[in-house]
Amino acid sequence: MNTLIILSALGIIALFAEIFRFRKALFPLILLGLGGAFFFTAKEYNHPQIFLGMMNFDNYAVIFSCAILIIAFLWFMMAKNYFLQETSVTDHFALILFSLVGAVVMVSFSNLTMLFLGIEILSVSVYVLAASDKSNVMSNESGFKYFLMGSFATGFLLFGITLIYGITGSFDLASIHTQVAANHDSGLVIAGILLLMIGLAFKSSLAPFHFWAPDVYEGAPTTVTTYMATVVKTAAFAAFFRLFSTCFAGVTGHWTDVLWWMVVLTLFVGNVSAVRQKSVKRLLAYSSVAHAGYIAIAVVSMGAASTSAILYYTFTYSISSISAFTILFIVSRHKGSKDISAFEGMSKANPLLSFAMTVAMLSLAGIPPTAGFFAKYYVFLTAINAGNTLLVLIAVIAALVGIYYYFRVIIAIYFKPEQQLVPIKVGPLHRTVLIITTILTLLFGLFPNLILGWI
Amino acid sequence: MLQYAALIPFFPLAGFIILGLLNKKLPKNIAAVIACGMLLISFGLALGVFMNISGKTEEVQLAPWINVGSFSASFTFLLDPLSSIFLMIITGVGFLIHVYSIGYMHDDEKHNIFFAYLNLFIFFMLVLVLASSYLLMFVGWEGVGLCSYLLIGFWFKTKAYNDAAKKAFIMNRIGDLGFLLGIILLFITFGSSDYHTVFTKANGLMSGDTMITTITLLLFVGAMGKSAQIPLYTWLPDAMAGPTPVSALIHAATMVTAGIYMVARSGILYALSPVSMLVVAVVGIVTAVFAATIALTQNDIKKVLAYSTVSQLGYMFLGLGVGAFSASVFHVMTHAFFKALLFLGAGSVIHGLSGEQDIRHMGGLRKKMPITHITFLLATLAIAGIPPFSGFFSKDEILGHAFSAGMVFWVLGVIGSMMTSFYMFRLLFLAFYGTYRGDEHKVHAHESPKVMTIPLIILAILSTIGGFVGVPESLGGSANFDKFLEPVFHDAYAKMLLMEHSQILSEVALMGITVAAAAISIFFAWNMYVKKKTVPVSEGTRLPFLQNMSYHKYYVDEIYSALITKPLDKISGFLGNVVDNKFIDGIVNASGKLTNWVSGLMRFVQTGNVDFYLLAMVVGIALIIFFKLM
Repeated sequence: MNTLIILSALGIIALFAEIFRFRKALFPLILLGLGGAFFFTAKEYNHPQIFLGMMNFDNYAVIFSCAILIIAFLWFMMAKNYFLQETSVTDHFALILFSLVGAVVMVSFSNLTMLFLGIEILSVSVYVLAASDKSNVMSNESGFKYFLMGSFATGFLLFGITLIYGITGSFDLASIHTQVAANHDSGLVIAGILLLMIGLAFKSSLAPFHFWAPDVYEGAPTTVTTYMATVVKTAAFAAFFRLFSTCFAGVTGHWTDVLWWMVVLTLFVGNVSAVRQKSVKRLLAYSSVAHAGYIAIAVVSMGAASTSAILYYTFTYSISSISAFTILFIVSRHKGSKDISAFEGMSKANPLLSFAMTVAMLSLAGIPPTAGFFAKYYVFLTAINAGNTLLVLIAVIAALVGIYYYFRVIIAIYFKPEQQLVPIKVGPLHRTVLIITTILTLLFGLFPNLILGWI
Repeated sequence: MLQYAALIPFFPLAGFIILGLLNKKLPKNIAAVIACGMLLISFGLALGVFMNISGKTEEVQLAPWINVGSFSASFTFLLDPLSSIFLMIITGVGFLIHVYSIGYMHDDEKHNIFFAYLNLFIFFMLVLVLASSYLLMFVGWEGVGLCSYLLIGFWFKTKAYNDAAKKAFIMNRIGDLGFLLGIILLFITFGSSDYHTVFTKANGLMSGDTMITTITLLLFVGAMGKSAQIPLYTWLPDAMAGPTPVSALIHAATMVTAGIYMVARSGILYALSPVSMLVVAVVGIVTAVFAATIALTQNDIKKVLAYSTVSQLGYMFLGLGVGAFSASVFHVMTHAFFKALLFLGAGSVIHGLSGEQDIRHMGGLRKKMPITHITFLLATLAIAGIPPFSGFFSKDEILGHAFSAGMVFWVLGVIGSMMTSFYMFRLLFLAFYGTYRGDEHKVHAHESPKVMTIPLIILAILSTIGGFVGVPESLGGSANFDKFLEPVFHDAYAKMLLMEHSQILSEVALMGITVAAAAISIFFAWNMYVKKKTVPVSEGTRLPFLQNMSYHKYYVDEIYSALITKPLDKISGFLGNVVDNKFIDGIVNASGKLTNWVSGLMRFVQTGNVDFYLLAMVVGIALIIFFKLM
């Protein structure tokens, strides 16, 4: 609850910054605020609190909130320039902070209304952010597409909630669990579960509800794309898993087979489409779709180890993504192009950028000793324990395709002729972010228990 | 005292690390002092061990190593009389050769790296003999192989030297595979590779156990590779490509005797398998005679010594095969003295003649290189088995046991011994007597500096008197050497139950016959090369059949090439060019192309039209609901 209060307060303060003219102080204030939020959230670890049956700050909520706060902290450091360049800085700060509130609600709800509220708080802010580069047609199109399709998906989510309410007579997760178990062969229950799943699948960009992702990711400002790929994705999966593990773990027969097919389709579409992409941004967008497929394996194979697998995967994936998007941001601003060719031969003049990008790509591809390896390993482990060997086999083949396109970037950096020897300027904040993300990626790859031990 | 012995290998290792890291930053003389100094410390410790070890067995555990399930291995060193003798040989002779190298390698640009490699070699060799399990021995075994490879190819800019290094490495791999399989079988049979466990359990087995026979034969394959026995001996003559101190240290005194050490260490296992013992003896004697016949006609001073080494190693295996374990180890020791001396003497000659190795272009060096000449003469007398030089005692002990084991071994042994005397004196006479046959104007033969001659003198003293530690009882001695090693081989001797000594009278008579035979050979050599001043014919002259076969080493290299190398090349070429390039790569590339093509198709799905996206969503939802509810 501390998290929600601090984040909301920060958001409101940000709105006043324009009026009371302390815009310059806002950025350090927000970093400080996030640090404070992290501290007070962490204090709630092992002290679960329930608020009116609406929110339940159990360890699951605390750990995922902390993960989201760390990612958001790194994201703010990475995205500072974005706020400086835009006119309506404070609005953007406020929007991001409010969307973080939505994200925290999404990981701590114990009531379907709160889930819906969380998703909408998060989504509406991000719709606006996606369109925040007002002079850019692509950005406008991106925001509009996201909004249009998002509303469409929200409709199904609400429909699902309605059906579930109709059968169980409750929004409360615990009573839904018992009621669903009692009425498990009811067609309305099945339809409700499926519609809820479709709504959440849209937010997590699982195929065939992923079509918005590549277009929106590409059109939005790179910093916003980063936010969508990291914080939004983490929150979406945390919510997905929280809902389904609490309410529908007893009726897996109704939904796991559908999700199984969605995972296979997502892995196929995400990885195979990325192969031909010339733009690194679009490549990362498809890769983000593909990673959603891997994470969803742990949801399909719901078991004791799924929670830690999802936590480890979303957190390490977010860190590597921030690394990759930061470098993309720096390079594309310098070269004026987001294509892979912009990265060619940059290794000699930019050793830090090249190394950080390589580590990020290796992690996303799942090569040891980076964190991405264990991320896939633990997800696959849940699947094998649940008997989904075929799914693991498919996922491994998909990962092979993944190696192809991630390595294209590494090859461009190291093995293509040098384009220019002028080092690309990297600001101190970006430098710090890259050093932190690279070290964390390697550290978690060597000592995965640093994350797994918490949950 | 004994626990400090565990430090013995780590001084050379420290030397290697210092020299390897600093390399060119160190002045040459400081590098040499470090390398030699480290070895001197090890030698001091080894001496301490040697003085205190009599009748004792100590295990010193350094660190745990591998612990997986029921499998465990640790870094533990074993100190007993057998390992202490090898420690003395390795550090003592090794130290002398290090000192000699200061002079020999003085002008080489890779001087410091040379010493680093030598130190590393000593480290691995010490690990090999100090190990208390087969697994740890294997670490040293592979390590010395690596150093041997690095040092044979030390002057890697010459392709032939590189080829020699690769040949040595590959030949050794074949042996190592056998050795490794043997170790694995040991694990399966005894659940451990620790000597203590293995030997204790083996002691309870009956003679003739099939598994033991398999294990010992596999281990012997490893010994054949490392100690250059038929059919894996061809690498050793080629290994002479390395600098001469390397030939002396690795390819005469120490590494090539690792096979002897290993078989001797496993004495109890071999004692349980009469079949393996017979194989060892037969391979040993055949190699001894075969290599000696090749050495008769070689003209390269180092090649003669190389074949001589193969031949002498054959004698050692003969000794092991007939159950004379301590006699073989005795011969390892005396051989280390006189063969190292011969190689270093040859190095001195090569050094003095600015790189000339062909004995046809030598002669009359007696006056120009007096110290080299005298020491070489003493070593030659020792290897020829003339009493009272060291080789006489060790070789005769082996031949004496061979006589008890079978007349044929003894007869062949004496024939080999005659040839040994002949080719060694041929070498001596051609190089040091007569008149100089090289180009006087180009090459000014000179004696080597003191740093090289002093090790020669010390080794000469050892070659002369080194045999007195093992004077047999039949000659009024007390066989101290055998008594020193008796505790190590006690169980093995007990298993064989033979060891019946021949009558003392006949033992002395046998010695008389071998010495007389050697003397006759020396006379023939003198008659031919000093009196008649015969010089081996130059290249290209047609030789009589037998001489030709010997000169061309029975075309063994050519036979191996035709039977093994070339067919393997063909198969490898087929697998590489056709199976891999066309078939496997074809599948890989096709799957890549397919993915790429599908990816191209996928782009048409991502149209950018929201209405299409929404349609896809709706179709997806409809399908899901339809299949789940209908």
